[in-house]
Amino acid sequence: MGSLEGIIAGFQVAFSLEGLLFVMIGVFVGTFIGMMPGLGPISAIAVMIPITFGMDPAPALVMMAGVYYGAIFGGSTSSILLNAPGVSGAVATAFDGYPMAQQGKAGKALAIAAISSFIGGTVSVILLMLLAPMLSSVAISFGPPAYFALMLMGLTAISSLSEGSTIKALISAVAGFMIVTIGIDAQTGTQRFTFGNVNLLEGIDFLVIALGLFALAEVCTLIIKRKDLSQENAHKLGSMRLSKQDFKDMSGPVTRHSFLGFILGVLPGAGATIASFISYITEKKLSKNPEEFGKGSVKGLAAPETANNAATSGAFVPLLSLGIPGSGTTAVMLGAFLVLGVQPGPLLMTDRPEIFWGIIASMYIGNVFLLILNLPLIPYFAKILKIPRPLLISLVIMFSIIGVYAISFNTFDLYMLLLFGVVGFVMRLFSFPAPPFILAFILGGMMEQAFRQSLTISNGSLTVFVQDPIALTLLIVALLSFVFPLIRVIRSRRA
Amino acid sequence: MKKVFIGVVFVVLLIFSAACSGGDEEASGTEGSKEWKPEKPIEIVAPAGAGGGWDTTARMAAKVFTEEEIIDSDIGVVNKAGGGGAVGWAYVAGQEGSPYNMFVASPPLLFIPLNGQSEYGHEDFTPIANVIADYAAFAVAADAKWDNLNELFDDMKKDPSSITVVGTSSPGSMDHIQFVQIAKAAGVDVTKIKYVSDQDGVGLTQLLNGSVDVFSTGVSETVEQVKAGTIKVLGVTSEERLEGEVLEDFPTAKEQGIDATFVNWRGFFGPPNMDEEAVAYYEEKFKELSDSEAFADIRKQFGWDEMYMNSEEYQQFLDEKKGEIQSLLDELGLGE
Repeated sequence: MGSLEGIIAGFQVAFSLEGLLFVMIGVFVGTFIGMMPGLGPISAIAVMIPITFGMDPAPALVMMAGVYYGAIFGGSTSSILLNAPGVSGAVATAFDGYPMAQQGKAGKALAIAAISSFIGGTVSVILLMLLAPMLSSVAISFGPPAYFALMLMGLTAISSLSEGSTIKALISAVAGFMIVTIGIDAQTGTQRFTFGNVNLLEGIDFLVIALGLFALAEVCTLIIKRKDLSQENAHKLGSMRLSKQDFKDMSGPVTRHSFLGFILGVLPGAGATIASFISYITEKKLSKNPEEFGKGSVKGLAAPETANNAATSGAFVPLLSLGIPGSGTTAVMLGAFLVLGVQPGPLLMTDRPEIFWGIIASMYIGNVFLLILNLPLIPYFAKILKIPRPLLISLVIMFSIIGVYAISFNTFDLYMLLLFGVVGFVMRLFSFPAPPFILAFILGGMMEQAFRQSLTISNGSLTVFVQDPIALTLLIVALLSFVFPLIRVIRSRRA
Repeated sequence: MKKVFIGVVFVVLLIFSAACSGGDEEASGTEGSKEWKPEKPIEIVAPAGAGGGWDTTARMAAKVFTEEEIIDSDIGVVNKAGGGGAVGWAYVAGQEGSPYNMFVASPPLLFIPLNGQSEYGHEDFTPIANVIADYAAFAVAADAKWDNLNELFDDMKKDPSSITVVGTSSPGSMDHIQFVQIAKAAGVDVTKIKYVSDQDGVGLTQLLNGSVDVFSTGVSETVEQVKAGTIKVLGVTSEERLEGEVLEDFPTAKEQGIDATFVNWRGFFGPPNMDEEAVAYYEEKFKELSDSEAFADIRKQFGWDEMYMNSEEYQQFLDEKKGEIQSLLDELGLGE
C-alpha cells in the first residue's frame, strides 16, 4: 500500500520552506489569539479563513491546523495568570495553575503547562500517524448509550472537584444542570426557560459562564480583598526552572494523559474540554495526596494541559478520516477545508495523501515551534502580573467583554456575563465551588440528549444501556468510581 | 513590556473596528433619482455562525460581487448567530427601509416562525432574489437491507417503531420535515416516524455505527461517504436527477413513484419596506451574479443547483411553500 509514500510526501510538504513558514505563522497566530481571554480556536480559525483564499490547499491547511492547536496551547496562559480561560479546554488548567501563580510560581506554572502541552501534543501526533486509519472505527463505535455512559462517568467526579462540603458541590452541579436546559430542546423543538427572549433560544454560551464564574468572580474578589497580604506573592514571577521532583511529579500524568486525552479527542463530541476534565479527575483519584489538588498541584496542572493538547490531535481523526467534525472548532475547520476545495473523508488519505499526511507531519514541527516560541517568552507573559492591580483588573474585564462579544456580536450576552460574574462572586462568598457547576454545564447537555436519543431509538426500553458493551463497561467504571470513595470513608470510620 | 502592551492594545482596536464596521448604517432610502445605486458599504447578515450553509452562501456571493466587479460598494458579511436564525432576523427587521442591509435565508425562515421560535417570518421582509437550490438526500448504511425508498417506506408502514431517522435540526425543522414530506407522499403515517436530532453533527456517526437507520441530510454531505462505499443514498428530493460525478447516480423520489420534492432554496432578503428602486437594483445584480462563470464554478464546487427567482416570483413561491409546511406541521401536531 502506498501509505509509506504518502507519509513521505506529507513530510516533504511539511518540511518544505513554504510548509515550515506557514506552520510557523499558524502556531504563532494561534498562540497569540488563544492567549487572550475569551478568544479561542474558533475565532482564530474563522479569522484565518479569508486569508487562505486562493492559496495552495496543503500549506493553507497546515497553517489552519497550526492555528487550531496553537490556540489550545496558548489558552493555558490566561487561565494560569488571570483565572480567565479563553478556551473551554483550558478551564481545568485554571484549577491548579491559577493557585500556583498566586503562590508566586507563575513562571514554573507556565513552564509546566508548556512542557506538558508539548509532550501531549507530540505523543498524540505519533499515535495519530500510527493509528489514524484504524482509529476511525473507534470514532464511530460510540452510539448514544455509550455517550450517555461516558458523560455519567465524567459526572461521578463532582464530589472530587469539591473542597469541603460535598452537599455544596452537588447544589452547584444541579444549578449547572438547570442552566444548560435553557434554550430550544433539540429532541422536541420546544423552548425551555427562554421567557420568550430570542437571545436565549440557543442557550447560554459556555464562555459566558466560564468567564463570568472564573474571571469576573476573581476580579470581584481581588477588589474586595485588596489588602490581603497573601496576594502579594502574585506579583512575583518566580523561577521558571523545574526541579527534579517537579519532573518526577509530571512524568506520571503526562504519560497517562497523552494517551487518555488522545482517545477522548477521537470521540466526536467529546473533545479537549471533556478530555481535560476527565484527566484532571482521574489524576486526582489516582493521587496519594488528593488534598493538594486545587491548591497548586504540579500533577493537577500537568494532567489537563497534556490531555487538552493530546485531544486536539485526536480530534483530527474523525475529521480527516471520516469527514465528521466532532466539535464546533472542527466544524469550522471542515469549512476551511471545503473553501479550499478539499473534502475530508474516507478518501482523503488515498486521493490527497500529501494533504492528509502533510497536516499530520506538520504537527510534529508545529509542536516544536510552540515549545521554542513559548518557553523563552514565559518571563514576558508572566510580567502581566506586574501590571498594577487596578490596571490588570480593568484589562481582565475588558478582555472578558471582548471575548464574549466576539462570540455573537450581541450585547445581550454581555448582560449574561455580568449576571454570571455576580453569581460566581456570591457562590464564592458562601463557598460553593464553581468547577462542579461548569462540569455539569458541559456534560449535562450532551448527557441529556444522548439519554433521550437512546430511549427514542430503543422505544423507551432502558436495557439499551446494558446491551451496548461500551456503554456497559463505562457504566460499571462510573459505578465503581462512585462506590470506592464511599467504601474508603466507611473503612476509615471503622478503623 | 511597553511593546507587548501596545501590541495588545493594537489587536484590541483591530477587533473592535472589525466588530463595529458596517454595523451602524442608518436607514436612508434615496428617493427621487430614477436609478438607485449604493453609495455606502453593504452589509449581508448570515444569521448563523461561521462555516455553515448560510455563511458560505453569503461569503461566496460577496466574493463574486466584488471580484467580478458586479457591485462597486464594499460588501461585508456579518455573522449574527442564535435561535436558528431568529436573532439575525430580529436585527435586520430593526433596519426597516434600509437599502444597505440584507440577509441570506433558506427554508428555516419558514419553519422557525411556524414552530413559534421567531416573531418574524418571510412576510415581514422584502424578498430580493433566490439564487441557488440544494436538495435533501436520505442515506442508509451500505449494508442496509433497503435498496430504494419504497422498500424503506414499506417497512415503515409495517412497523414504524423499528426504524429511526436522524438529522441535525430539531423536529419541525428542515431535516425532519424534508423526510416527512416525502414519506407522507409515499403513504407512511408520519405521526409515527421516530426522529432523533443530533446537533453535535454526529448524525453520520450514528448511521455508521448502526444506532440509527436513516440519515436525513443534504445531498453534498453524502458524496464522500458514498464514494468510499460506507453508505448508500436511497433517494434525493430533486425534480430530476442531479448532475455531476456520483450525484447523477442518486435516484430521485419522483422516479421511484413518490410524487413529492423538497427544495432547500437559498436567497437574499432585505429589511421590511425596502425601497423598490433598491430591490430592482439588487435583483439585477443577483441575476448577473447567478449568470456569471465565477459563480457557476462555486455552485459546482459546493454541489448547488442554479435557481434564480426575482422578487415577485420569490414572494409567490414562499407563500406557497409556507402553506404546505403549515399543513404538514399541523398533521404532526407541531404547529403553533
